[in-house]
Amino acid sequence: MSTPERRQLAEAAGLAAVIERLGAAIALAEEPSGFAAALDAGAPDAFDD
Amino acid sequence: MTDGTLVALAEAIRAKRLSAVEATRAYLDRIARVDGALHTFITVDADGALAAARALDAEAAAGRWRGPLHGVPLAYKDLCHVQGLPTSCGTRTAEYFTGPRECTAVVRLREAGAVTLGKLNMSELALGPFGDNAHHGDVQNPWRRGHVAGGSSSGSGAAVAAGLAAGALGTDTGGSIRLPAAACGIVGLKPTYGRVSRAGAMALSWSLDHLGPMTRTVHDAAVMLGIIAGRDAHDATASHRRVPDYATALAKPVTGLRVGVAENYYFDGLAPDVERSVRDAVRALEGLGAAVQPVRVPDPTVHHGVANAIARAESAVIHARLARERPHELQPAVRARLEVGFQISAHDYLQAARLRAQLARQFIAEVFAEIDVLIAPTIPEAAPSLESAKAGSADDVVQRMGRFSRLTRPFNSLGLPALSLPCGLSADGRPLALQLVGRPFAEGTLLRLGHAYQGVTDWHARRPVLSPGGGSG
Repeated sequence: MSTPERRQLAEAAGLAAVIERLGAAIALAEEPSGFAAALDAGAPDAFDD
Repeated sequence: MTDGTLVALAEAIRAKRLSAVEATRAYLDRIARVDGALHTFITVDADGALAAARALDAEAAAGRWRGPLHGVPLAYKDLCHVQGLPTSCGTRTAEYFTGPRECTAVVRLREAGAVTLGKLNMSELALGPFGDNAHHGDVQNPWRRGHVAGGSSSGSGAAVAAGLAAGALGTDTGGSIRLPAAACGIVGLKPTYGRVSRAGAMALSWSLDHLGPMTRTVHDAAVMLGIIAGRDAHDATASHRRVPDYATALAKPVTGLRVGVAENYYFDGLAPDVERSVRDAVRALEGLGAAVQPVRVPDPTVHHGVANAIARAESAVIHARLARERPHELQPAVRARLEVGFQISAHDYLQAARLRAQLARQFIAEVFAEIDVLIAPTIPEAAPSLESAKAGSADDVVQRMGRFSRLTRPFNSLGLPALSLPCGLSADGRPLALQLVGRPFAEGTLLRLGHAYQGVTDWHARRPVLSPGGGSG
């Protein structure tokens, strides 16, 4: 395995570890579309803001 | 003429103190004079710009005005598809990005009367915060030659700062509007995710890409945003929310706005002059009547992991052919960042997308319960030299990229609007900047506060001094 390939795998493994740790307590009902909903729900009430 | 603002130029044309052709010629002359050294443009469309300007002057003579930008010369990052012009996306391939549909934001600006000067240089595939480009030349910082212009919208930042366009479009996946705006001493707005259509612009990461204005003043940015924002049938992520009159709302008072200064993360490890200039700006906002308070934000390093997993996976999918078939064409650090995406599992990508939703909801609920606007530095140091930015191995460069963009990236995964504006100069004259971050779709609040700040300071009015060839001190 070349050095760049080892580096790629190491970075991907690092990201996987972070995702694994953060995802341990994520709600079963959470889904990606919740992001757009969070933005909509978080917008200010006043229109001109 | 090229020293002023977009709004002043539009008013001069409207009042017939100046024609669209005169304005366009002035910018084209200046580009010809100084851009050989700055490398801000990849394509200059002099003939097309003058033809458009002549048509606009004829319309004005007949009493027809297209819109608020009638006759104003603009330029666009070279990932926006513009009919009749190549779109390299900063790669070696002149026509890397093609499609049946023009960039919606460009179309809207043209319909508002803007003249297209050409296409602006950028980091290769928009992957890089320094603005260096092995194929089209490293964009030079107009304030100090030999220093980075910031990226990836490097040409947009440097061109507006150097007076080579009255305004520009950039895109921001991890800071690519705000970093060059900060490094070049101009205003850059990353709108809320979905506020501005990305249709007709090359994608780097569908989930994190934002398109927005880069201008000399907040007022200019408000005008451009008002034109490009809004629903678009060609971009399913474009919000259907109505678009406020951002420019008119600038006059509203800022008294009582709750401004939070991040206690954690954002002031760690800054160059001393950056911290000093941002703290000075906080005092200026207090003087304007803002209610300033410290605030703790949820750990931003968490967002880096989530954003990186999403960005790496999506960019590898989008640019897979180039990465797999012609990897030798890519700059080493660009290739290094792109290829990691092939190693991200579907599980991790989807889990990151779920986490993003949770983190955004948490951040908005916790932070914006206490404040209206968060203030933080945009860049941790003034623009570094190109030599130091590019030194070492691809891994060294990638690490350095991450450090330089660490203050902007969290707001891409959160999708929140963030406005960068100049707030000082380093001892040797390089721009420093702050960012104002707001609730989703609260661009109006950020613009209002930024405009008020520019009313009591003059950082936005300072200009780099260019030698005849385009170099600076």
